[in-house]
Amino acid sequence: MSRADASLDRPYRVDGRRLRSERTKQLIIEAYLALAQENSPQVPTAAEIAHRAGYSVRSVFERFPDIHSLQVAATDYALVQVAALAPARDGDGDRETRIRTQVETRGQSCERWLRLWRSLIVNQGDSAELRQRVVLSRERVVARLEFMYAPELSTLADTERRHVLIVLEALTDVESWARMREFFGLSFEEACVAWRQAIDRLLPPTPSTPAVAVHATGQPA
Amino acid sequence: MALPSPSQDGRRLRSERTKQSIMDAYIELLREKPDVPTAAQIAARAGISTRSVFERFVDLKGLSLSTLDYAFAMGEAQAVVRDVDGDRPTRLRSHVETRAHTCERWLPVWRVVVANQGKMEELRDRVRFIRQAIVKRVELMYRPELGVLSAEERRDLLIALEALIDFESWARMRDGHGLSFEEACSVWMRMIDRMLPPTPPSRDE
Repeated sequence: MSRADASLDRPYRVDGRRLRSERTKQLIIEAYLALAQENSPQVPTAAEIAHRAGYSVRSVFERFPDIHSLQVAATDYALVQVAALAPARDGDGDRETRIRTQVETRGQSCERWLRLWRSLIVNQGDSAELRQRVVLSRERVVARLEFMYAPELSTLADTERRHVLIVLEALTDVESWARMREFFGLSFEEACVAWRQAIDRLLPPTPSTPAVAVHATGQPA
Repeated sequence: MALPSPSQDGRRLRSERTKQSIMDAYIELLREKPDVPTAAQIAARAGISTRSVFERFVDLKGLSLSTLDYAFAMGEAQAVVRDVDGDRPTRLRSHVETRAHTCERWLPVWRVVVANQGKMEELRDRVRFIRQAIVKRVELMYRPELGVLSAEERRDLLIALEALIDFESWARMRDGHGLSFEEACSVWMRMIDRMLPPTPPSRDE
């Protein structure tokens, strides 16, 4: 019997050391995110992260070769959280319901993640990994828009549909939300209203049935 | 009161020219790399000594703010208001093309300013001022259409239009989605057209 086969026969044992190490890693990531959020857009130092997590600086670098690796891991962790806290709802509701739900969900995400997002944008620099995550995050926003406004978008020709999506994504960008709240001084609800109206204006009419033939002009037949 | 002599005038002119070349060098460096350059880098690019830089500007902060004001003045001069009295398609085209040229020219500088605004109150004030200028231009160009809306609707539409024509929105169309200048202009024109209410009859008739 080979060594691999023999290992299959052994009862499953939780590797305590490994579990502890994973927990430490997670606590370091959480400490990084908390500090990045508090001091955005400044990147926290290893000493600050270690202090916040309750470990030594050495422990940080035992788990992450450098701050950049920690930044990437923390961004991945945050992206998972963003997705988990903003599930798609009311995808089959009427137009008004879908716009309301999408805007409120997006508004809450922006509210929650604004400072971290700013930190990511400012500090992405030349990092291909961080840039890739910025792109991924935007692609997710577009995918959600496509899902929520599928009936309306289905009435458009490909190019027009793509252009509407580009504009909807720009309109519902985190910084666009931040400007409504910080620069124009709108409340959460007022900001949602502004987005709802703009999206409603940008979307074509909702078709009475989901599948509609499309003219080359992008207008429904 | 004695008038300045011709030699004093010449000295003053030369000094002003040096000052301008320092700010031009600063802007050039920002366009190449999205980081605030050092005084030594600016001096080298302008072809003068670092000491000459600090003879004209108290410190790097002062130089940064003066350069931003200078850049804004240049941006304003390049973005002349045109066709305010034109029909709706003319105003849309004129506004979008002017704004697009501004984004194309000034995006790298804008990015550095926005990234550093948290470090300097004065920088934040300037960002605010520039955004207000963008909103004012929108108000001016689409006055007939905005005039038919209630105050609240008008405010919300202005906010949405400002987001739509933001520097980063332009950058995403050009860099992220690979649209040409004309394609990107066309997207903005069509989308603004969609967002604006119908033009009241008295205007285009």
